Amino acid sequence: MTAETLVRHKTARPAVDFSSAPEMKPYLEEPKAMYVGAPGKHGYLKLGFEIDPRGKCILRELDRRAPLIVQQELYFDEEMPDMPCVYILSSGGPNVDGDRYQQDITVRKNAFAFISTGAATKLAEMRYNYSGLIQNIVLEEGAYLEMLPEPVIPCRHTRFISDTRMQIAPSATALYAEIFLSGRKYYNVGERFAYDILSVCTHGERPDGEQLFREKFIVRPGNMPLCTPGILHDYDVFANVVVATPPEHADRIYEKTEAFIDPQRNMAAGISRLPNDSGLLYKVLGPEPGPVKKAVRAFASTVRQEIKGRPLPEEFPWR
Amino acid sequence: MGKRLTTVMRLLQFSDSAFPVGTFSFSNGLETAAHHGIVHDARTLESYTRSLMRQAAYSDGIAALEACRATGGNRYDRVLETDRRLLRCKMNGEARLMLRRMGKKLAELGSSLFDSDLLRQWLGDIRTDAAPGTYPVAQGITFSLAGVNEKELFCSLQYGVANMILSAALRCVRVSHYDTQRILFALGDELPELYEEIRTLSTDDMNAFVPEADILASLHEKGNMRMFMN
Repeated sequence: MTAETLVRHKTARPAVDFSSAPEMKPYLEEPKAMYVGAPGKHGYLKLGFEIDPRGKCILRELDRRAPLIVQQELYFDEEMPDMPCVYILSSGGPNVDGDRYQQDITVRKNAFAFISTGAATKLAEMRYNYSGLIQNIVLEEGAYLEMLPEPVIPCRHTRFISDTRMQIAPSATALYAEIFLSGRKYYNVGERFAYDILSVCTHGERPDGEQLFREKFIVRPGNMPLCTPGILHDYDVFANVVVATPPEHADRIYEKTEAFIDPQRNMAAGISRLPNDSGLLYKVLGPEPGPVKKAVRAFASTVRQEIKGRPLPEEFPWR
Repeated sequence: MGKRLTTVMRLLQFSDSAFPVGTFSFSNGLETAAHHGIVHDARTLESYTRSLMRQAAYSDGIAALEACRATGGNRYDRVLETDRRLLRCKMNGEARLMLRRMGKKLAELGSSLFDSDLLRQWLGDIRTDAAPGTYPVAQGITFSLAGVNEKELFCSLQYGVANMILSAALRCVRVSHYDTQRILFALGDELPELYEEIRTLSTDDMNAFVPEADILASLHEKGNMRMFMN
């Protein structure tokens, strides 16, 4: 059965469509295998955290559509044993050509949560289309969210675009981290920056619609030199951590966070203030995912200490 | 023909590093890059300047062109929205300070040169903090009022970025005037392609990917090296 003769079952969830983004124009051909929006290729996840009547913070809402899976919240954080922790899994393995994902995450008033992924997000080789992700993260007053997924690994000819909207109440804090590898560095003869495009946008707003910040970066290794001073130089891994938080917290986290360039470890990190007094942006560059993840967790621990008075626990030895 | 001569004269005037908006006080992170040995000779200086020019084209360049078009159509609402959008894309405090300080100066200077209600309204909004007053938007407005076209505006903007870095390099990198002029000359060849890449993009498409330069700016902001403001 060819792609033309397949009966099409478009999923009913809101469409994830980036065809109007100019940078994705070259990648809009329908995949020859499973079509865009086919069941199993249009993942949806809805997570809602809130404080229940007994005062316990729980995952109240959970809706999921393959290939995204969340089973239930766990309480494994030894420093914050009352915090629901959730791992997002994907039954499909890597994101493949034409995949679309949407994740809606809400943390209600004074609730708190930790979200990560079970493993690195692999972005497979793509030939016709792209993989797209829309995220809506909503934090009500006093809410707290740590979103620390495992790194993203783009393969040869990967095309990936994401749009993350963070709606943050003035007293809430959201830490949102992303780590990107150069590729399958140790696969075969090695792949570094062999992907076609990564287009990543994270923007913040208040519940009344006031726009706070917008960070967008587009990386096109075939179109621009990356391993050059000012861009990635000789680093392979970069991390971007957005912390939307009230100014008094931002000031103290900023003071406690070191900016450095360390030629011995081939690492660098810097911190800056987001526009409109809306929080901080922490960036890390490094040679391998391990040290970069460690630096991101150390920063996340500073943030948690400031907001919740507790550090992050030691990372599990198998992660 | 006479009008064209005057326009070219205006273009030179507004692009001159002596134009009193304070470009000489900034180095675009070069001071820190030189201190850490990231930029240490003509080759690395050229690469660094190219990275920053590209980044500027995809953010400041898009905003300046949009402001120029909005001024031409007398659309103050679009000027104001572009100004606010550009500031929201600037992830570094010193960069925001630089853009706003230079933007306000150019708006003030422009108001003394041009009789424009739009420019007066914008300057009034800057003074009451209703508008951020970013430099690329100020350039878009004043160049439009001076009759300078979009391509020339883009050239001036890119020249400004390159010249800011290369002038600073003479004071903190081991390069000669010959080196910096050769670099500027070479980078000029790349402008047409860069202009084609960005000319149809909107402010929704503004983006920047210079993580090492962002870290250098952060080190500068947190450190105590202060030959330049950025």
